Amino acid sequence: MSRLDDELRNAFKRQQPPADFTARVLERVARQPEPRPSLWQRLAALIEPPKMRWVAIGVTAALLIAIGAAEYSRLANKVVDDTGKLSQAAPPDEKKPAVKPAEIDAVITHPNAVVVPKKHTQSLKRHQLAAARVEKAPEVKSEAEAAKDKLMLALSIASSALNDAQKAVHDDGPKP
Amino acid sequence: MDNATGARLDDRIERSALGDQLAFEQIVTQHQGMVFSMACHFLRDRSLAEELAQEVFLSLHQNMHSIKSPEHLTFWLRKVTSHRCIDQSRRQKLRPTVSLEDVAEPAASASENDLFLSEMLRRVVDTLPEKARMVVILRYQEDLEPTEIARVLDMPLNTVKSHLRRSLSMLRDKLSRTLGEVTL
Repeated sequence: MSRLDDELRNAFKRQQPPADFTARVLERVARQPEPRPSLWQRLAALIEPPKMRWVAIGVTAALLIAIGAAEYSRLANKVVDDTGKLSQAAPPDEKKPAVKPAEIDAVITHPNAVVVPKKHTQSLKRHQLAAARVEKAPEVKSEAEAAKDKLMLALSIASSALNDAQKAVHDDGPKP
Repeated sequence: MDNATGARLDDRIERSALGDQLAFEQIVTQHQGMVFSMACHFLRDRSLAEELAQEVFLSLHQNMHSIKSPEHLTFWLRKVTSHRCIDQSRRQKLRPTVSLEDVAEPAASASENDLFLSEMLRRVVDTLPEKARMVVILRYQEDLEPTEIARVLDMPLNTVKSHLRRSLSMLRDKLSRTLGEVTL
């Protein structure tokens, strides 16, 4: 190490500020307005505990409710109404009756078939279709009941989770 | 720094980030010498240096939440002080307009008066460009290695080395001419 290095260290050694420097800094700090958090800071605050728990629980509950509602809605569309007709919203393959009208036509128009007056064939078709619908109704209803049960269970779980979270947040919060 | 001191500093940083004024006061007291000296040596004006140092600590107060450790705190203060000094100097054209050749030469030899030599060195360093001047201050006031200076000033390591080499060479030339009999 050269003498120049030593001389430079000596020339640039630390100096102390005036005695009241710290007091003046603190005074200026006290006068400063509280800094407003930026948008990013506010977004970041959302994922800090315990808020993170609230967000996670809220998202889970919303998902459970949405899934339950979608399932219930899908199965409710299958339910046969009081008039014995299937809902318009039901999927095409589920709207099909047990016996297709074409099959009925084939039976009626078969050469060996008993001749039935035309007005009776129309009535027969309607009867067959109604019978097929009624036959399917209990099965669809039971599915709807099951979906309803699932939805109620999902709501119950979501409610219980929200209660737990609220309790946890209250426990973490400042004590009075 | 031993473990106990490090833990105390960590604790102070944490408490200060949470709004503890006493902890912040201790941090200011501990680092004010470093910040003020850097500004004072760079700007060569005590009142301006004090003003700048206060602003650095105000900025620290606003950014306490981003400070992760005592080492990070020191690095942050050096970095902010350096950049503010350079900005201030450029903005207000504080750099003296006197050239190196105009720097007054001492009438007495260095051996007779070390204070005089120190002042001579400071005045010569004062004629350097802003970044080169800060490199010399960080090297000799803070005793930083070139790699650390490069990090603080956000500049390539080779640039720092080059600044140091040129500055020292210039200082040697100037002082050899002035104090011919002294070997530097």
